[in-house]
Amino acid sequence: MSVTAVEAGTPVITGWSAVSPFGVGRAAFVEGMLSGRRTDTPAGEWDGAGERACLVPGFDARETLGAKGTRAMDRVTGLAVTTVGELLEEYGGTRTPEPDPETALVLGTTTGSAQSMMSFTRASLTGAKPFHVEPAVIPNSVMNCAAGRCAIWYKLKGPNATIAGGRAAGLFSLVYTRRLLLTGRARRVLCGAVEEYSRARSWLEFHSRGREHSVLSEGCAVFQVEPAGQVGGTPLAAVLAVDTRVSADGDPAGAMRACVNRVLSRGGVEPSALWAACPSNPGGAAGAAEREVLTTMFGRAALERIPRTAMAGDPGAASVPFQLASALALAQRDPAPHDRPVLVTAADPDGAVAAALVLLLADGAR
Amino acid sequence: MRDDRAARRVVLTGLGIFSSIGTGAEQLVASLRAGHSNVKPITAFDTTGFAHSNGCAVEGFEPENWIRTVPVDELGRASQFSVAAARMAVEDAGLAEDDLRGRRCLISIGTTDGESHDLDRLTAMDVAGGPHAMDPAIARRVPAARLSNAIARELGLSDVEAATMATACSAGNYAIGNGYDALRVGDADIALCGGADALCRKNFTGFYRLGTIAPDRCRPFDKDRQGILTGEGAAVLVLETLQSALARGARIYAEVLGYGLNCDAYHPVAPNQESVAACMELALHDAGVKPYEVDLISAHGTGTKANDVTESRAVRQIYGSQAPPTISLKSMLGHTMGAASALAASACALAITHGFIPPTINHVETDPECEIDCVPNTSVEAGLRVVQNNGLAFGGNNAVVVLARYPMEATT
Repeated sequence: MSVTAVEAGTPVITGWSAVSPFGVGRAAFVEGMLSGRRTDTPAGEWDGAGERACLVPGFDARETLGAKGTRAMDRVTGLAVTTVGELLEEYGGTRTPEPDPETALVLGTTTGSAQSMMSFTRASLTGAKPFHVEPAVIPNSVMNCAAGRCAIWYKLKGPNATIAGGRAAGLFSLVYTRRLLLTGRARRVLCGAVEEYSRARSWLEFHSRGREHSVLSEGCAVFQVEPAGQVGGTPLAAVLAVDTRVSADGDPAGAMRACVNRVLSRGGVEPSALWAACPSNPGGAAGAAEREVLTTMFGRAALERIPRTAMAGDPGAASVPFQLASALALAQRDPAPHDRPVLVTAADPDGAVAAALVLLLADGAR
Repeated sequence: MRDDRAARRVVLTGLGIFSSIGTGAEQLVASLRAGHSNVKPITAFDTTGFAHSNGCAVEGFEPENWIRTVPVDELGRASQFSVAAARMAVEDAGLAEDDLRGRRCLISIGTTDGESHDLDRLTAMDVAGGPHAMDPAIARRVPAARLSNAIARELGLSDVEAATMATACSAGNYAIGNGYDALRVGDADIALCGGADALCRKNFTGFYRLGTIAPDRCRPFDKDRQGILTGEGAAVLVLETLQSALARGARIYAEVLGYGLNCDAYHPVAPNQESVAACMELALHDAGVKPYEVDLISAHGTGTKANDVTESRAVRQIYGSQAPPTISLKSMLGHTMGAASALAASACALAITHGFIPPTINHVETDPECEIDCVPNTSVEAGLRVVQNNGLAFGGNNAVVVLARYPMEATT
């Protein structure tokens, strides 16, 4: 199947990039993810709850983006600005495009930068006066800082949204992206999610999840999404259907099953036609339910076709973008999944459950 | 291209309101008509060391009266506001829980700070006793998605898209726009949209450090205005298609005609006139109305030097010298952050329903640089057909919603 066979208006991914524990950029992600190498490293100097973390190696916003405009930039913003820059450079040919009112940016998050927020409050609590705080970091303490700074950096004047959805944030972003395209509010959407590693996040996760607490990961992946029928870039994948739910009655497996069945039905795909299922694997009860449902429905082999190396550690809001990037990375190297549907799922311990059915297109490998 | 389904009309049929000047639509209307505010020294956190610390708190909030399913101590104050407001909105719309469970729902709550009040408390524990001293029960309340998914848990909704719109001080309008689009493209049958925020040290300290907290009162568009007063609360709006509302005989407050979104891509905190004007144009175009058809503008109207000049110039840029009355609800409600444009949209709908223009209070002399009629101090009886609600935010996140009387020809 080629993109011309996909229903008009369907969101089509025509480019992507990532900043991940494998390094900066798409090539680093593809190479690292397919090599299967581990990315967890000692993280003692961060003073977090865990001794190890999967960090973007040597990441520093000032070094990556230059000194101008980065003095007060926090890590989550640096990760997002770097990723969007990589994407624009690879697919648009420039990091300094003309002002663009037709390109939207949609970024998923958990809580923005908990570190920026808590550091700011700490300064207020411990300074000689409660207002002895650094004014330049005030924007960092609001959750839409990363998306707003990306817009400034790359002159993206279209709709600019930040959606808080925990480990399902990437799929909420995709739903919102589809809506922006269907309603003509944007011609192109840069859609993804970002999460930083920090002392604050590490301790919040430690206290929230108790024994389930795992090694944390970080990073950002952003996808260029255009509507089928009006695609400018090379079609890599079509998002056939997305569904999101809440396991309101404490039945995460039931919610996951309903989500998966709905996207298969909307996409007109038989369970047996699915090439792979790629779960978010957040651990705990939510993760167990996700895995059980997918294994029962599609068999163990379907869960093993897409390597899980990029999902080592808990990437938080970056989970779904890393899952989707892993599928695209594999399709770039291996013809087996071409024109086959894959399922990307997310289960957040806070209750959100989501699934997307994505068709990997042969066009992308040309 | 929008398909036939997307062309459906969207109406507002339920309101849940918690604010410093009233709980519920009826109390809010009475306060807006009377031009009330409720400004008091902030008690939500220790304000020692700040030269002034007035704010607009929600007093006497008893979440247990509204929240029946989710244990209240699993929710921070902002989520308590959002869940209680959702309960109230659903009841106000005459919807039973079973009615909702049979339909696909969208829950989209906007916020600036999420549960930052809890993060402030965790930070204080960390400062006092190190990171092990943080309270796990409070840490679990922090993820901002909870403002929305706790509503699903409370109402027992599983077939629901529930995520939080974290686009700062225009987030309420973003959420309304999201609900409007979800209904029009057929992604949802019922949308619970709005905004919620709770007073917190982090937010107050930021605005204070920027020199934008007024010492006493909030005086938007006044030549002597000194800034905002931080506030808190929530508004949740029940949106559904006109077809759905008519079929169940629902009371209709107003129709959502359309909205506009854009981004300044200019400065992290300062607004940009061209971009704000462009967003108003997008909203009017989306709503299919001409500027002369708009009877009232609810401005973002924070009462800071920068916002009020920039915004009133943007209004003049679109509307010329014929600009309709342009009021600031923040003069009465304070700046309730992510709840602000949701509370303002609710106030606009109530102004349409009840036939009056809420005033901009605390007004002495209009700033000559703000060339608008802000309807100073006293509300005015007026039949309103079309009302525009502005929301601007840090990050240059602009969102403008246009509401109209339904049916348009009715008189009040």
